[in-house]
Formats: sequence, C-alpha cells, structure tokens
Amino acid sequence: MVNPLRAGLPQEGITTPCSAVFFGASGDLFKRMLLPAIYSMHLRGMLPAAFALVGFSRTAYSDDAFREYCRKQLELFSPKDKQPQGPLWEDFAKRISYVTGDFSDTQYYVALKDRLAQNDKEFGTAGNHLFYLATPPPVFPEIIKHLKEAGLDKDGGGWTRVVVEKPFGTDLESARKLQQTIEGVFPENEIYRIDHYLGKEPVQDIIALRFANTIFEPIWNRNYVQNIQITSAESLGVEERGGYYDSAGALRDMIQNHVINLLALVAMEPPVSSHADDIRNEKYKVLSAIRPPAHSDVWSLSARGQYGAGTIDGAPVIGYRQEHDVAPDSNTETFAAVKLMVESWRWAGVPFYLRSGKRLPRKVSEIAVTFKAIPHRFYGEATDRIDPNVLVIKIEPDEGISMRFEAKVPGPKEHIRSVFMDFSYGTGFGVVSPPAYERLIGDAILGDQTLFTRWDAVERAWEIVTPVLEVWQHTKDFTFPNYAAGSQGPQSAQKLFPEWRRI
Amino acid sequence: MSFGLVLQELDERARERGGGVHVATMTIVVFFEDAAIGALARDRIHTLAAKHPSRVILLDGTQSEGFHHVDGDDWIELGAKGSTAELLHGAANALRLPEAPVILLWIAPGIGDDDRFCELSRDARTVVYNSSLVDAGDAALRQLVEYVKRHPELPLADIAYLRLAPWQESVAILFDGEESCELLDLERVEIGCGSQPEGLYLLGWLASRLNWKPGSENMLTGPDGKTIAFEIRREGELRRIARIALSSARSSFVAEADPNGETINLSVTGGHAKPPRLRAINNPGVAALVERAILSSQNDRVFEASLAAAGAILAFGTASP
Repeated sequence: MVNPLRAGLPQEGITTPCSAVFFGASGDLFKRMLLPAIYSMHLRGMLPAAFALVGFSRTAYSDDAFREYCRKQLELFSPKDKQPQGPLWEDFAKRISYVTGDFSDTQYYVALKDRLAQNDKEFGTAGNHLFYLATPPPVFPEIIKHLKEAGLDKDGGGWTRVVVEKPFGTDLESARKLQQTIEGVFPENEIYRIDHYLGKEPVQDIIALRFANTIFEPIWNRNYVQNIQITSAESLGVEERGGYYDSAGALRDMIQNHVINLLALVAMEPPVSSHADDIRNEKYKVLSAIRPPAHSDVWSLSARGQYGAGTIDGAPVIGYRQEHDVAPDSNTETFAAVKLMVESWRWAGVPFYLRSGKRLPRKVSEIAVTFKAIPHRFYGEATDRIDPNVLVIKIEPDEGISMRFEAKVPGPKEHIRSVFMDFSYGTGFGVVSPPAYERLIGDAILGDQTLFTRWDAVERAWEIVTPVLEVWQHTKDFTFPNYAAGSQGPQSAQKLFPEWRRI
Repeated sequence: MSFGLVLQELDERARERGGGVHVATMTIVVFFEDAAIGALARDRIHTLAAKHPSRVILLDGTQSEGFHHVDGDDWIELGAKGSTAELLHGAANALRLPEAPVILLWIAPGIGDDDRFCELSRDARTVVYNSSLVDAGDAALRQLVEYVKRHPELPLADIAYLRLAPWQESVAILFDGEESCELLDLERVEIGCGSQPEGLYLLGWLASRLNWKPGSENMLTGPDGKTIAFEIRREGELRRIARIALSSARSSFVAEADPNGETINLSVTGGHAKPPRLRAINNPGVAALVERAILSSQNDRVFEASLAAAGAILAFGTASP
C-alpha cells in the first residue's frame, strides 16, 4: 500500500531507505567533501529515516574508531553550525559502520555483504545499496569486479546503484575499458557518473534561463549569435594534486568533462521534459553534432600552455615545473583552449571557444554569448564604437547574468556607450545553495540521473578531445612554460581567438 | 495619507543612487495594528527582503494617517490608523512595483468582517495569514474557515499550517513501508500542542489524507465506518506541536519533540516495533515560513483540504484546550 500521507506533501527529505557504502572512506574526498555533505543532509532532515553509512577502506578501523574518525573529520571540515554534537550526532553515529579491507580480496566484500544485511535488519534499509567509489580511479575496476563476485551487484530485495567519480578514464580507450567492466556488472540505469560541477546551482540555472524564458530562444542560433566563449579559469596552481595533474593536464581535467558539459547545456535543443533521459538525449545529440578536429587541424584549432613563475594577487608564485610531484621537464599543459563547431541547423558556422587554465589572474567560470553586430549603422557619432551585445552567464564566483547593450549618452550629441545590466543570484535571491555534493548524493539515493553523465556523452566527449590529446602528447612543446602565472594565458590562445574576454 | 510625497521621495532616492541596477522580485504589503508585533514584523521582513529584494510597504495601524517614512529605494512605512479600506488599497496600488507580484502579510488577529483585509487581498498573488498570531484558541482559525468559504479563490497561506512541515514529514515517516497498512486500523489520535490552530491543522491534515469525517465532538469516522477517537491537549510551547501519538490495536506510533524542541523522536512500539529514530525539527523562523508561503503555497491542495477538514472538525464544536 502506498503511504497516503505522502501524497502532496512537500518533499522535506528523502524517504527511500538506503545503505550507502563509501569505498575509499579514509581518503581525502570522503573526509573533505562527502562526509560533510552527508552529515549536513542529516541535519537538514534530508536523509531517509532508514539510512546507514558504511565506510570501506584499507586503513584498519573498528566501527567505534571509524565513528570517532568521522567525528574528528566533521569537526575539521564542516562549518561551525554543522558540527557533530548532541543527539543528532549520536543518532547519525550509530548508523556508521566500517569494513577494513583490501579492494582486491573478495572476502572483504563478503564481510561487507554481511554488514549490509545487518543494516537492512537493524535500520530498515530495505536492501537498497548505494556504492560510492571515492577511491583513486585505477581501483574502480577492481571494486566493480569484487562487488559482482560477492553477489553485491544483485538487488537484495531493493535497488543497487554505483556512483563513479570523475575522471572516467584517462583517454577514450581507457574510458571504454572501464565502461566495459562496469556495464558487465551494472546496467546503465544503475551507474551514476558524478561530476560535482554539474550539481552546482548556476549550471542548473542555464536550463532555467534558456527554457523558462521566451526572449532568449528566438535569438539562440546562428542567425544572431556570433560566437560562444566558455571559460573555466583558476588562479590556483595544482596544490597537492601535482602527481595526478601531471598525468592529466587541463584538457583531460577540465575541458573533456566540465567545459564540454557546459557547451552541451548551452547548445542543446529544448528537451521534451525534465526527465533525466530527455535532457541527456539532447546533451548527447549536441555533442554528436560536434566533429572532432582532424589531427592535421589540431594546431589551428587549439592552443596549450604551461605556467611559469609569476604573480597572483600581488604575491609571487612558483612555476608549474617547480610544483611538488611535477616532473621538472613536464610537457603537461596547464592551459588548454579549443575551437569547436556544432554542425547542426541551429549552430552551423558559430564557433564555440573553450578554455581552461590554472594560475590565471582570477577564478572565473562563465559562458559568454556574443551576438552579431548590427546590420546597418545610422546612429551615433562617427568616433563611437558600437559593440555587439553580449550575454554572460556567470557560474563562478558571482553567479548571475550580465547583458551588455548600447545606450545613448544623455546630451545633445548622439554618442553611444556600452552599458551593462547585471543580475546576481546572490543579491537577487540572497540564497546560499546547498553544496553540489549534497544535491548529487541526494539525487543518487532518489534514483534521479539528470545531473549524472550518461556513457554515450562521456564517450563522445572523449572522442571530441582525442585528436587534440594525441597530437599534444606526441609533440613536446619546447616553449613551455609559455605563460607567466597571473597572465591571460599563452600567446597561442590569442592567436586562436583574439577576442577572448579578459579573465 | 500622502503617498504623493512618498513617490517624490522615492524618485529622489533613485536619482541619488545614480545608474546602479535595481533588482526587485516582489512587493510585500504588510499590515499590523500592534506596536510590538510591528517591531517584530519589521525585523522579519528585513530578513526576507534581504534574501528576496522587494519593495516593502508597511501599513502601520499604530501610526496616524499623516505619518510616512521612506528608507532606501524600497522600504516605505505609512501610518494607517483609522484609514479606510479604499485608502489602504489605493496606497498599496500607487506604491507597488508595477511588474512585480504583490504579497500581502496580514499580521493582525482577525479577518472576519475586516473590509481592509478584503480590499488589500484583492490584488495579492499570495496572502499570508497567521491563525495562531495571538493565543486566542481556535477563534482565528474559525474566522479563516468562514472567510475561505465565502472567498474560495483567496490565494491563502497560513503560517500556523506551514509550521507543521516537520511534523507532517515525521508522521509520514512512521507509516512508510509496511506500516502504511496500519493507517487503515488506527483507533486513536492524541495531539499535544501549545496552540489550538496547529493541533487542528495536524488533525485536519490526517483526516483529509485518510478520508476521516467528523462523527462527534471527539470522534472521527473512517471510510469503512470505523471510528477514531481523538484528543487535542494543550502541551508545550505556544505555536508548537509537542507530540502526536497514533494507535491501532497492534501498534503505537509516536512522534515527540525533545525538551529543547530541536529534534523529533520517532518510536513505534507493539506489533510493528522499530528502533527509535530522530529527525531534526529545523524550526524555521517566521521569515522562512513566509518565504515558503511565497514560493510554494499557491495551489496547495493539501493545505486547502486540511483547512476544510479542520473546519469540519470545528463545526462539531471541539472545545479549546
């Protein structure tokens, strides 16, 4: 019988019972991001009443020791108003357990299975199991294989879902191999490829801006749009991720996933509904309309860079090759820019310029839609410059929308000047959005795949960047480092597109 | 009431501000007649307007008609003591932002025969009322039930009902899964609450969801003719639910606030016994409840049904606790 008390009730929290297993529970991602997100959901009443958390990692902990570990991490990484204390923490702590185990030994997965069965009995988690792979990516296939061997891939009377952290593969071939391993065990509707960027509120606002307004859609096409620039820039360097980053680079780390996902959202056709697959179908369609550059065209359609020493916010910073865990002769790019064309009726002839880099002057993520110039000029003083209209969707750090248009300067002359109309979600709504991980973990428990990337889109994104990756990998760039930290990026990027917006 | 002067002042402020961008999402019209309530209202509306930039028109029933005060671009206070309904409506209309929706916050005890409420609510997209603003038993709720019968199109939200959200969620949790069958066999409902409207709304909500009809002063009848005894007891803080217990022949389902009012302890004993669970109450302040009313109360059929059921229960003469 369906609970009639639920009908029409505002969704205050998630009701689906669930045991969530975190592989890599002694690692950085779990303690810094996932655990605080889960605990915040508990405090906000978002977690199901029938919920249990199981940590799984190599580090040896008893259940009690792991609870204590979690408490200490929450004290460190949760905000002041979400510290672990009082009856709410005690209620949460008693739902935490831990399995010490080697990822490559089935016996520990059998122990995990027993623990989950115990949770089902003790906490009423109803055989619903969420497996979150928060380990380094090379371990993913091992975990998937052993989940199957231990029979944990089967529905234990409930559902089974697996959340896979990015990066999904390191190139097209490894992504396909990983996919083969996962799809050999879990069907697509049980795989949740997480890219926390997509859980950010402003990314979701793109859909609202485009499809909850009528004024943009008629001009959102080749007839009116000159070009679209998508920028994801950071002022930070590689921090403690030098080892990982030096084998990845900006193209893999940002363009292949975050930035291409933004392109898909900004260029896709209107979905028929907000259902996950309707949106993901449209995203895939637009990616499939992008022709990957030919190897011979890579140099004219892309630019790469690596930062050298420079100044950020007035303070000197070291160059990439001097960073910890980075090879002193590294050929890895810390800046990548590509020009892509979406070969569709809507976008034919409109270039999409994508760029991402580290140690740029400031952190900024934005999509800038530049419209075509006016067709005929009859107004304004001869010395006036009439700039095209630009609509900027600002994602970070100040989420909002900005529009540039031309206006007459008051006075007897016909002077024209650009003015900017700014809307900031911060001042417009003054709302602090819940962190992306809370939204995404909640969606995974609810079974909503909208904000998770489907395999066909992941594969297509790899196909798009693969020629660039291959050419770059096989060509040592002797000009590296070719941009100073704190500058706008390498000169080659300016050659690719001289009209980049200033970062 | 000289809102011409106010308009002039607003123009001056806009000129002083220069070319900056003006963002506003709504016009909030607030009416109150008690100085202490007015002070609280100002504080809460400031919180709300900080989150949702709005033009605020405070109609202050404690100040004479000649009084006006303009703060910034969008904060307007007007004396409304003794003002007629038409005058208040005219002022709100002249000073509202032309494109933005109007939200009426009526922070006064009664609405029954108040034509000021009737006039001001005419143009509002949402009317926010609080039937437990003052501790007057079920009087305000009775008035509301009668008013809504006469004005079924009123886009109403009641703070007293919106406060119930964590309790509705908690009671629903008690019956998720196999336990939902027990809903058909409930025999008794006991509600402990600090004010009558919240208790009646909670009972009304249950009755509307489970198709219970009032049978007598303290008895409801289920669709299969079974009777459900109920009791609403005064307990705990004003405007707060303290406890709800629902019993069938086999099990007892209890949701109870802890002494600090921060969590709800959920327990099921008897045939469907379960380990106790805890939910955060996250009691939102009035500003947050008003925000909820603005964002999500339109076309809330569950609220409408709960209000109607509470009205039907009241019609049988439930005594105030």
